[in-house]
Amino acid sequence: MKLWKKLSLVTITVMLLTTGISGAITLNQTFSYNQKKTVESYEKQLGTTAYALERELDKSRINEYGETTKNAYLSYLMKKFGSTQYILLEDYKVAYNMTPFLLTTTKLEQFGQNDIMTVIQKTDTQYTLITGKRIPYIGEHEYGLILVQDISELYRDMKKQLGFYIGFGVITTLLAVILVFLLTKRILRPLKELESASKDISSGNLDRRAVVTTRDEIGMLAKSFNYMADKMEQQMHDITNESERRKQMLGSLTHELKTPMTSIIGYADTLLHVNVRKEQQEIALTHIHDECRRLERLSGKLMNLIGMYDNDSICFESVSMLELFQRVAELERENLSKKGIRLEYSCDMKDRMADSDLLESLLINLIDNAAKASEEGMTIWLTGQGNVITVQDEGCGIPKEELAHVTEAFYMVDKVRSRKSGGCGLGLALCSQIAQLHHATISIDSRLGEGTTVTVTFEEEMT
Amino acid sequence: MKTKILVLEDDNSISQLICMNLEAAGFLTIPILDGLEAQAYLQTEQSKEISLALVDVMLPGKDGFSLMEDFQKVDIPVIYLTAKDDVISKVQGLKSGAEDYMVKPFEILELLVRIEKVLERTGRGREMIQIHDVSIHLKEHSVTKNGVPILLKPMEYELLVTLASNKNIALSREELLQRIWGTDFIGETRTVDVHIAQLRKKLDFHQVIRTVSKTGYRLEEL
Repeated sequence: MKLWKKLSLVTITVMLLTTGISGAITLNQTFSYNQKKTVESYEKQLGTTAYALERELDKSRINEYGETTKNAYLSYLMKKFGSTQYILLEDYKVAYNMTPFLLTTTKLEQFGQNDIMTVIQKTDTQYTLITGKRIPYIGEHEYGLILVQDISELYRDMKKQLGFYIGFGVITTLLAVILVFLLTKRILRPLKELESASKDISSGNLDRRAVVTTRDEIGMLAKSFNYMADKMEQQMHDITNESERRKQMLGSLTHELKTPMTSIIGYADTLLHVNVRKEQQEIALTHIHDECRRLERLSGKLMNLIGMYDNDSICFESVSMLELFQRVAELERENLSKKGIRLEYSCDMKDRMADSDLLESLLINLIDNAAKASEEGMTIWLTGQGNVITVQDEGCGIPKEELAHVTEAFYMVDKVRSRKSGGCGLGLALCSQIAQLHHATISIDSRLGEGTTVTVTFEEEMT
Repeated sequence: MKTKILVLEDDNSISQLICMNLEAAGFLTIPILDGLEAQAYLQTEQSKEISLALVDVMLPGKDGFSLMEDFQKVDIPVIYLTAKDDVISKVQGLKSGAEDYMVKPFEILELLVRIEKVLERTGRGREMIQIHDVSIHLKEHSVTKNGVPILLKPMEYELLVTLASNKNIALSREELLQRIWGTDFIGETRTVDVHIAQLRKKLDFHQVIRTVSKTGYRLEEL
């Protein structure tokens, strides 16, 4: 069953129960009160009449009257006080009854006591109030007075009221039911929106959001739902980007592998089957050799890059940055002096927790890049200051539109030149990976023809 | 005059490889490494002498597909060479008007066959092949040595043409069988040996048609 139906049904049931019970109690109370009032008023009337009769009997000399006189006198008295209502008892027997009722009870004694006795008798068509009392006259005979009154009117009123109440109740209940249905549906309407939003999202429409403006729990739910959708979209986006990046990297990798392979296979094939001159044979062999070297470098760099995803092999220890700089300078000295490039370094950094092999590889890569861009007689500066390492050169620089791509794997600004100098497009990708592992960021600032500055910024302090 | 082929390939090593093989097979090559450079070259008079272009799709400057128009202007047939091994690229290449499409890494033999076919198809086939003192007249289907006609059987002629158009390149017996006698020929590789022996004798090519051990035969001329 739908939630709005359930809620409506529960509300309606509770409402019906409470109004029904309270209505019944109120009606009952009202009726009891009316009945009591009626009875009390008749009893009062009886009491007054009985007292008046006693006075009359006291004044008369009823004991001295003969039977006939007595009867006539009593009849006169009864007529005087309303014979249509009263029945006179003499020694607990009906002595005078001019009412339209006939007393059938044999226990007339109960109506002849000093205390008022009241009975409500129900016949098929009517309710009759019978109330009786002894007339406190002391004489030869005991006299009692009975008041008989048709009180059907009271019950009829009651029935009328009950009917009215039920009718009114049914109408209001019907109205209430409709109202409750409409209201619950209205309150729960945002849930429908949520449902359709989640359906849309799961069917791939990731930028769909639930539009719920209420401030109740549903509104809060919608808010957190939207927040979840935001996060999910973001993550999906990241995952798609990542896989796109991987795909591209794999594509570039195959291309990078295919090109040297094509040459190696081609030259080997040529040497095997084609009759070429001696000097051409040498060219072919040189190409095979060079391409194999390129493959070797590529696989080495790739191993580094893949190895870094395997975090177990990385060990952080306290590294003296000055010693690291000296080591790097020593390693680069031969390579740079061959090209006639100077390397100047200065270090004003505290020891920090790092993997010294990886940092070394990072610096060597950056210096190699700088060297490739530089020409003879130029200088490369390696500076360490606080949390920042910079590698600065005065080489050819990188075009602005290429800057964003240079850290992508296999991206080469100048393919032909890069290949000639032995690059395979993985250096900076490797560097940014190493930097990431050390919670550092790499930024590149470059001006065409003026040089490039690569800045590695470490986080304040790693623990 | 030798047939001139434009080799448009940005990787120096592959460019040299192709040129080396084409030259050995008797073509003249013009290697160009850059797309824009190629476009500039096509504007010059020299480009009139080019019979065919081998074009890499991914090129610095201007890519191979967008160079198509320039090639069509000067009516040079194009064979694309590319590392892109997907149907869409192939379809795009061929639809744009290329004569053929080859995926790297490729075999030189196949490249030579395709070059030959494209040249024939576009009416740029060679009319004569000269090897030492022997001339093969492709139109007349005749062979002369120092001007003296030499009578060759049809299969011997076919064999000579195949060897001569793959000059300096070793062809296996199976390769020769398949190319000359056809795939459904039921015979032995000995058939090839017999025909080779006949050719050597008739043309005095004992030093020219070399037996390459474990491979087959090669017609040599440097």
